[in-house]
Formats: sequence, C-alpha cells, structure tokens
Amino acid sequence: MNIINIALNEFKRNIRDIRTLVFMLAFPIVLMLILGTALSSTFDKNIKIGKINVLYTEKNDSSFSAPFQSFIEEAKKQDIHFSKASERTDGKRAVKQNHYDAYVEVTDKGIQFYGSERNSIQASMVEGMLTAFTDKYNLITEVAKEKPEQVQAVLASTSSDFVKEASLNADKAPGSMDYYAMAMTTMIALYSAISASSLIRGERRRNTAIRLAIAPINKMEIFLGKILGGIGINFVCILLVMAFSRFAFRANWGSHPGMVVLLLFTLVFLAVSFGLGLSYIIKTDQGMQTIVMIVLQLAAFFGGAYFRIDNADGFLKLMTNLSPLTWARDALTKIIYNNDLMAALPSISLNIGIAIIFLLIAIVAFRKREGL
Amino acid sequence: MNVLEIKNLTKKFGDFIAVDNMSLAIQEGEIFGFLGSNGAGKSTTINMISGLLRNNCGEIHILGKNIASHSKFAKMNIGIVPQDLAIYEDMTAYENVRFFAGLYGLRGTELKERVEEALEFVGLLDKQKSYPKNFSGGMKRRLNIACAIAHRPKLIIMDEPTVGIDPQSRNYILTSVRKLNDMGCTVIYTSHYMEEVEEICSRIAIVDHGKVIAEGTKEQLKAIITDTKDILIEVKNSENLDEASLKEIKGVNSVSIEENVVKINSQSEVNNLNQIIQFFINRGKEIRSLQELAPNLETVFLTLTGRNLRD
Repeated sequence: MNIINIALNEFKRNIRDIRTLVFMLAFPIVLMLILGTALSSTFDKNIKIGKINVLYTEKNDSSFSAPFQSFIEEAKKQDIHFSKASERTDGKRAVKQNHYDAYVEVTDKGIQFYGSERNSIQASMVEGMLTAFTDKYNLITEVAKEKPEQVQAVLASTSSDFVKEASLNADKAPGSMDYYAMAMTTMIALYSAISASSLIRGERRRNTAIRLAIAPINKMEIFLGKILGGIGINFVCILLVMAFSRFAFRANWGSHPGMVVLLLFTLVFLAVSFGLGLSYIIKTDQGMQTIVMIVLQLAAFFGGAYFRIDNADGFLKLMTNLSPLTWARDALTKIIYNNDLMAALPSISLNIGIAIIFLLIAIVAFRKREGL
Repeated sequence: MNVLEIKNLTKKFGDFIAVDNMSLAIQEGEIFGFLGSNGAGKSTTINMISGLLRNNCGEIHILGKNIASHSKFAKMNIGIVPQDLAIYEDMTAYENVRFFAGLYGLRGTELKERVEEALEFVGLLDKQKSYPKNFSGGMKRRLNIACAIAHRPKLIIMDEPTVGIDPQSRNYILTSVRKLNDMGCTVIYTSHYMEEVEEICSRIAIVDHGKVIAEGTKEQLKAIITDTKDILIEVKNSENLDEASLKEIKGVNSVSIEENVVKINSQSEVNNLNQIIQFFINRGKEIRSLQELAPNLETVFLTLTGRNLRD
C-alpha cells in the first residue's frame, strides 16, 4: 500500500508540474510537426529522374550499329539522350566530372558500360535498358541463325519496352510524419532519464527525504514507489504523444499496438533506471545533470531523432548502433511495416538488461546509504 | 517512565567524533531543551534517535524498547519537525499532511480526521486547499509541524522550529508546543533563541563536543554559575574610561564597554560594589543607572562552553 501511495504521490506531483508536461508532451509534438513537415521531401517515395545524358563511342561498323541507333532513337522518347563522343574525349572522365550520367562503349564484342556513382539511379536505369536491349538482340541473332523463319514471330512476342516499371509497395516504408512520430516518441521515452535522476535526489533537495526516511516503512518500499511513479508518469506521457501523433498527424503505428507499447514501456524502464542509477554514481547535482544531458543528446542525435541517418559507416555506424533509439526505432519499423513481431525481442532484451544493471547499481548504493 | 533513554551513544564520521559516549534520559511529559552551538552534536543525536543515522556504539530506547530491534515501533512513536522545511510546495496543505500521515498506516476516516485535527491544531484548517508556495514563512513552519503530529506521536522532536519567522508565528508555535505537551506529548526542543528555551523547557541539556556537559532544570543550571555575577552600569559619558584600572578592583573578572554601558563580571562572594561606584565618581563619570543581573541561560552557556549559542 505504501508503494502505491508513494507512486501516486509522485504521479500527482508530476502532473501538476507544467514545465514537465510541456517538456514531455508539447515538445515532442511540436518537434514532430516541424521536422515531419520541413523534412518531408527527404522521405518522398517518388523520385523525379528528369533528363538523362549518356556519352557513347562506336568502335566498329558491324551489324550491331543499326539496332543500337534504333535503341538510341527509342531511348530519346524516354528523355534519355545519347551523345557520340569525339575521338579525343575521355568518356569515363566526363562521367566522373558529372558531365554525363553514363558512358557506353559499343564494340564488336559487345557493350561496355560505365555508370555515374553520383547519379546512380539514372545510371542504373540506362544500364537496365541496355541489358534489356542486348538480351533481346542476342535472342533474335540466335533465332536468326537457327530458325530464320521464326524471327518475325519472336519480334512480335517480345515487348519493345526496354524498361519495365516495377511498383514498390509505398506503405512498406515510413513517411516523414511516421518516422518522426516514432523518433520523437522514442526520444521522449529516453528523456524520462531527466526526471528519474531527481526521483530520490529531489526528495533530498526539498528535505522531504527526512520525512520519508523516518516513517515506519521499509526503505525499499520508498524506492519501488518512486520508480513506479516515475515510470508511470513518463509512460502515460509517451502514450499520449503516441495517440496524438496517430490521430492528429495520422502517423502509422501499425496493427500490433500491444507489441509497440511493450517496446516503448521497456524503453521508459531503461531510461528511468539509467537516470536513477546515474544519480547514485555521480555525486553532485550539476555534474549529474550535465552527464545526463550529454548522453541523451548524443543518443538522440546518433539515434536519428532529429534527422534520419542512412548508410552510416565506420565510427558513425558504431555511434548509431549504440543509441537505444536506433534499436527501438529499427524494431518499431519492422513491427509496423513488416509485421515482424520477433524483431522487438532484441530491443526489449537490451532495454531490460541494461535497465537491470543500472537499477542494481542504484539499489546497492541506496541500501548502503544512511537515510535516503 | 522514560520516553527516551540514550546510553553511551557514539557516532563517528571518519576520525571525527560527532557524538561522544552520550547518555541521557527524558521522562514522559517533559519539554526538554537541547542546547548546543553549531557542530556540538545536537543534530547528529536527533538523527540517530529518528533512525536517519546509525550509531557506532551505544543504545537508544524509545518507551523502553531498543530502536535497533524495534525500529518500526520507535518510528511510529516519534514525530520530527526538521529545521529545514520538509513539505511539498506543489501539494496542498491537506495533501501534504495526508500523504505523510498515510505512511504511518492511517487510512480512511481515521486518516481524514487526523489530518484535519493536525491542520486545526496549527491554525491552517481554513487554508487546507492552498498550496504552501503561497504561504508566509510562518505558515510553512506551522504546516511543517502539522506533518509531524498527525499520527499522534508520543515523542516530538522540534529542531529550530522558529527560525526566520515573524514574532506572531513564533508565539503561535511556542503556544502550540505547550499545548502538545498538555496533550501528553513529550517534546525535545532545540533552538538558538535562549529565551524560548528558558520560557518553555522544563529541563535542559547543554551539549558540547558531542557530550552532555550540563543537565537539569533552569534553576539547577543557573546554580552552577552562582560564583559570578554581572553588573551593568550606564554612565553619561564613557570616554577615556580605563578598563585596566577597573579590572584591578578586587573580585572583578572582566570588563566590557559598549556605547555608554559598562558590563562588569565579578566574583559573587566579593562585595566590591562600593569600590566600583567610587571608581566612576573619582573619574567624574555620572552614573545614570546600575543593575545587578541574575544569571540567565545565556550566561550559563557562555560560562560552560566558552562560546555564545549562536557561534
């Protein structure tokens, strides 16, 4: 009963704290709206390709030349423009210098292709079209050799399209608002560490720790009550942010709310334990606040809370993988977009495991300490 | 019956001995003054009695039971009014008292009645829905008391309950202490205001360097220092008064001059008043008033510890 009383007291006092509510509710919602709107273009699923320029050389006068010229004419209709290189032109260099999206060498032995790394999508499109063209050419050549009478039939049966559009399922990846709903909710879950670092220290600061310590209750009841209250208020804030993003911003939280909520709960548990543990490890208030803020800001930054980090490498990848936000958001993405419930297990296990370590540190220090 | 009994209590912080083999007994119904300058060991002793600190040696008994083995019983019977306010500013007066009283196992109607009783006792029942952040310093101090008494403890420890408040609130608190005592509570009272202790305490202990150096009623303590007396002489003009010559008069221990008031500490058994008056007349100093002071607790404290209480 004392545990519940202490937890409810913590909950009630936090709800009355306007600053906490603004920070835990308004801050993530406003940030979600700003970042989700401002950076929506980076999540655009439609890519406009525009005009594609290809440089080519022909080092033969074989029968391949005529079909290739037909191909060039056909490609022009798709806004892909082939320019013949002069003898002195270094095609590969021209691509490297971004004057062209690709360079093609047509010889007796076939086609050599060099695509621009910078404009990889445009280069890939040209490569795909060329592959389709050469496959078709090879097929017709083989048929002409073996059964010349069937060439017309083959030509009729194969499509003249060199590129077939493959439709990707757009709903399988989060849009900007979906992404920032996840990012901000997980970030604010992690920010529970700030209030948790003052769970016991706050009682000491306002001297109410004395009253709690002299009351005829077990010290662990105080400890558990404070943790329960801390987790409770922060978790309710997370649920409210989640619900708001769902209904106001139409963010996609998938069709497995139970697993999503469980994952977020373990993240709050991790953050509260981390804050509480740190409050026993670091002696001064100022030192503790500084460390908590640095850790949280780094975790938020490298965890992609403010902007998405794609294709991270080396040190950046290491830092990104160390952030609990990365684990949580990766798992959430898989649960929401791939219905992969098992993806939550590594993240949940890590959250609970690390939380227990910090909690044990806090419990040992708490029991050793005289008073609270 | 002893409400509190301390036997050979010792507390060390590293090499520093904060409480040194202290023994003390406080009987039921007493208002017990606990005097000592800063660092004398008062707060450490109080913290050990209330269970905030563990003692290195010795025993503490509350209502005959050792708190080491009957911690819950002891805590149920003690109420602490800490020197620093220990209340939640973001909870109403009622919620504050209710929360802390709830930790003592009070529930339902009984809890509600006790909370209202405590608030009424300190005169805050009409402010029960107000937040302490809107209270004056005195009102906060009274709420601090209410939080300590709602569970009706047998022993109330008040640590400097009147620090930094207006005279009206101070009088209210002193009256409350007497009322609590009339209701059967035993009170341990610490204060830097000697006149408060003198006014309300039935017995007093003076603590210095972690030890009780004197203990008894006010009269018993004053009797310790009856070998000296203070004489206050106000003169029209104290300019060029020679303190050294005044000290040469037989029996005079010390002389101090402030404005036009000369304070002389002299041995009681030496009748030297005539010589002192003659001293002033011979030097053409007109005496406006002369007063022989009876010893007070301040003098007792100063004599025993060599320091003022506020040092």
